Amino acid sequence: MHAVIINGSPRVKQFSNTDKIISKFAEGFCRDGNTYELYSISDRREWDDARKAYYNNFNIIIALPLYVECVPGLLMEFLETLTPKNEYTQISYILQGGFAEGSQLRCGQDYMKILTKELGCSYGGTLVKGDNFYIRFADERERERRTGIYKEMGAVFSRDGDFFSDDCIKFTGPEVFSLPIRLMLGLMFKTLAKGLAEKTAAGLGCTKPIDCKPYIKNPLPEEMPTAEGIGCRI
Amino acid sequence: MVLIINTTSTKELSQELKRMLTERNTEFEIVEADSMNISPCLGCNFCWLKTPGTCTIKDDYEGILVKMINADQVWIVSDTALGFIDHKGKNIIDRIMPLVTMNLEFRGDEMRHVMRYDKCADLGIIYLGEGNRDYLDQWTKRCALNLGSRALGAYPFWELKEVAACMQ
Repeated sequence: MHAVIINGSPRVKQFSNTDKIISKFAEGFCRDGNTYELYSISDRREWDDARKAYYNNFNIIIALPLYVECVPGLLMEFLETLTPKNEYTQISYILQGGFAEGSQLRCGQDYMKILTKELGCSYGGTLVKGDNFYIRFADERERERRTGIYKEMGAVFSRDGDFFSDDCIKFTGPEVFSLPIRLMLGLMFKTLAKGLAEKTAAGLGCTKPIDCKPYIKNPLPEEMPTAEGIGCRI
Repeated sequence: MVLIINTTSTKELSQELKRMLTERNTEFEIVEADSMNISPCLGCNFCWLKTPGTCTIKDDYEGILVKMINADQVWIVSDTALGFIDHKGKNIIDRIMPLVTMNLEFRGDEMRHVMRYDKCADLGIIYLGEGNRDYLDQWTKRCALNLGSRALGAYPFWELKEVAACMQ
């Protein structure tokens, strides 16, 4: 089997969580001699080749991060340049996001079905998984833990040719967390997670509190302020 | 204040809204974003972690963001593509990330980002072309949920009169 994989993340490859997920997925997918070609939307120079690959192949996988409940604007811009094909072309999706619950990705998943129909193709399902925000900040071991699980899903896709199996459904994890888990996580958000975010911010050279308010709200300033001109209001 | 961000080249729509809202004595502002230089969100997350609350992309979006912070309602006027709002409309929404912080909390049974400012504007969509209305409604609700605000709905442009009635 040959697949065209399109990385729909606007982030450059080096920092793209989606790219790291694709790498692991492809390892599993290629185990049985399958092949793939990869195009990244973040690099507009690859758009012509990505389009050609879409028109010349029948097995397309679009991997994307969820941006405000749906497709990132940059990926949308690319998709708008495609002409609808036919039902012999199958599009499958790897949809990933930062929030951990499966429910957070369902709105995006619903659009994947609409998008496929709009492009006149067959829907090969969507592999849905959250809790991926820290992949790019993680050390090698932690990154392997978070992305390595996609290897098995690559093998599943190689076996089934789509993402409809129970293995893929289970892969998403909990739809929402139970109340005791939510209470525990809520406590963690106020302590450990906040500390981790602040540490990550400091590592990037941030000198302001991560919850600062650079634009003063009401009364409406006479002149539009710029962030540089206004101190943080903590 | 009602903020209308028109990402389409259809200025007649803005003119019509202007007429209707003036008649109703509604406080409003219309931003013609179609001619502005607005890049897509690149997902750098610097607005959460490096320059909190500020986008590092220096283009025409910053002024819109400040107006959003001060608005009670934000309406995005967008062309459609592939059943959804087109990339120009989506870019406006994708770039709102500075309005939320990196910190998390549970609201209801789902995780949400803690809002950076006390209040966020309610959100509505006006679309031109062949949009999937049910999906656009669903999506607008989800967006508003994330922003701790209310969804005002997704309306095709021919329902402008109904939309103007919602603007207050």
